[in-house]
Amino acid sequence: MFGRSHAPAALVAPASLYVAAAFLLPVAILIAGTILPGGKLSAAGYVRFFADPLSLEVVWRTVRIGIVVTIVCIVLGYAMALAIVDAGTKARGQLIGLTILPLMISPVARTYAWVVILGRVGLFNNLIVGLGLTQQPFRLLFSEGAVYVGLVQLFLPIMVLPLVSALENLPADVVAAARTLGADWFTVFRRLLLPLTREGLVIGGTLVFNGAVTAYVTPAVLGGTRNLSLATLLYQQVAVTDDLLAAGVVATILIAMSVTASVLLRRVSTSRDRALTRAR
Amino acid sequence: MFIRTLAIAACIVATIAAAASAEDATVVLSSYGIAQPQYGKDLYSPFEAQCGCKVVVDTGNSAARLAKLEAYKDNPDTDVAALSDASAAQAAKEGLIEPIDVGALSNFPKLYQIAQDPVGGHFAVGYTFYATSIVYRTDKMPPVTSWQVLWSPTLNKRIALPDITTTQGVPVAYMANLTFNGTMPDMKVGIAKVTALKDSAVTYYPSSAVATQLFQQDEIWAAPVGRFDWPNLKKLDVPLAWSMPQEGQSGGMNVLVLVKGAKHKALAMKLIDAWLSTEVQTALASDLVDSPANSEVKLAPAAAEILVYGPEAVKSLHLVPPDVVLANRAAWVADWNAGMAH
Repeated sequence: MFGRSHAPAALVAPASLYVAAAFLLPVAILIAGTILPGGKLSAAGYVRFFADPLSLEVVWRTVRIGIVVTIVCIVLGYAMALAIVDAGTKARGQLIGLTILPLMISPVARTYAWVVILGRVGLFNNLIVGLGLTQQPFRLLFSEGAVYVGLVQLFLPIMVLPLVSALENLPADVVAAARTLGADWFTVFRRLLLPLTREGLVIGGTLVFNGAVTAYVTPAVLGGTRNLSLATLLYQQVAVTDDLLAAGVVATILIAMSVTASVLLRRVSTSRDRALTRAR
Repeated sequence: MFIRTLAIAACIVATIAAAASAEDATVVLSSYGIAQPQYGKDLYSPFEAQCGCKVVVDTGNSAARLAKLEAYKDNPDTDVAALSDASAAQAAKEGLIEPIDVGALSNFPKLYQIAQDPVGGHFAVGYTFYATSIVYRTDKMPPVTSWQVLWSPTLNKRIALPDITTTQGVPVAYMANLTFNGTMPDMKVGIAKVTALKDSAVTYYPSSAVATQLFQQDEIWAAPVGRFDWPNLKKLDVPLAWSMPQEGQSGGMNVLVLVKGAKHKALAMKLIDAWLSTEVQTALASDLVDSPANSEVKLAPAAAEILVYGPEAVKSLHLVPPDVVLANRAAWVADWNAGMAH
């Protein structure tokens, strides 16, 4: 039916058309709306956004939250993924099940659970006061710290899963071989595990970073609305001031941040490769 | 041949007429998602039985539904919308709604004065309002008599305030402005006073559910909230009271509007009239859904205690005029964000 050379293109055409119509087109319309307000080419929306020192503060806070959450998830994610892969086949299935379980609960419910746990008379404070570690309960809620806790709990599973699948594909005896040849654990991780699981790292890291910078409920509820993030600022502009141009600008900046994060993570994870290639 | 053509034409006309009448027997309402089962029982079902038509309801928050009206401006799919007064004022300004012929509404004269023409030009009729005031723990502090209590040291680290994005944000800033003799419409004093509490406030709550939870968890002793949350707060296992500060209470109003170019205008007018009727307003108030805007509604004490009820209560509300909200909210939000950042 198709010429041999056209077959692959024809086969991916339906999916490509779907992606273009359902995802790329709306994004293009959104971005076009920010640079062509009222049909004329203008950067006024961006100029107005970046001229406000508050905006820069919000961008920086959002990037900081994204980076910290991603790094913490990577560290905890590797620890968890290594433990899961190391466990027996049966235990592995159960552990993966437990990792996935929170994903089945609404992020809103999970966030509210933290309000209960971190409250003045919540689980955590009752525990440390009960153990006599402190007289006064700590104020944990409504701080940037609470946002980190909530977001890490929210996104850790989507970091662990790609890492588990990457580690599972590792040849069984490479670690043993490296150890035999005298590599310490840090070297094994840096020169063996990290390069060989970088696909999982890039996928997980991109998902976590994008999730963290665009999350609305968790920063709004656990951080309190005192500390604006780009997502809460976006909500303000849509729900209160009805300023769709400004909201479009914020959305475009979020998209740009996501793309940048994905490119950077890919860079970082392949830089060793290129260094090695050059060395050869 | 001619007869056959005529017969076919007649069939087509009959089909179109039937389709048109079926379509006529529907009215599309855009409304808040809250308490839909009660609305079904108290308003939609009785209305459907009476008009022989069907009420189709599209729910969402005021801002989202306003955006939808804008998107479908040229071919509106909605006939009647229940909006906040500020959203209605914006819809009027953007030409999305048309003036209501209030002379044709039999229940219009029964409405309280402030509900009769809330956005001007008869673009809307108020169907309910709510008060905004301070709810507090009666076992932790003396009775609240003034909005000034929010700034008292007793409540340091023990209050939650509404974020500017919530329904209560502007009313509370407005009362702070009134309490500290600020000017309008800039409201700078009120916004500065509310944002100055950022170190004392446990949080600025993004939704009333958060405030309720904080009361329940003994995190806060006082918070300004909307009256519609009072039934939920009263159910908590903590001693709470609704205050009547000497400066008065603020609040807000929800209104009904007629969408411009509505396809079922006659039914839309009937639905608006039914909504404002003494029977429907009494039923919705008795179910604690909406405070009545109809002055002839008589309520049992249990419901009257919870809702904004009676001419005195209605008169005591300091509502921010919707045109003022519309013209100034961007500046208020900018002042708010600046106050929070410093």
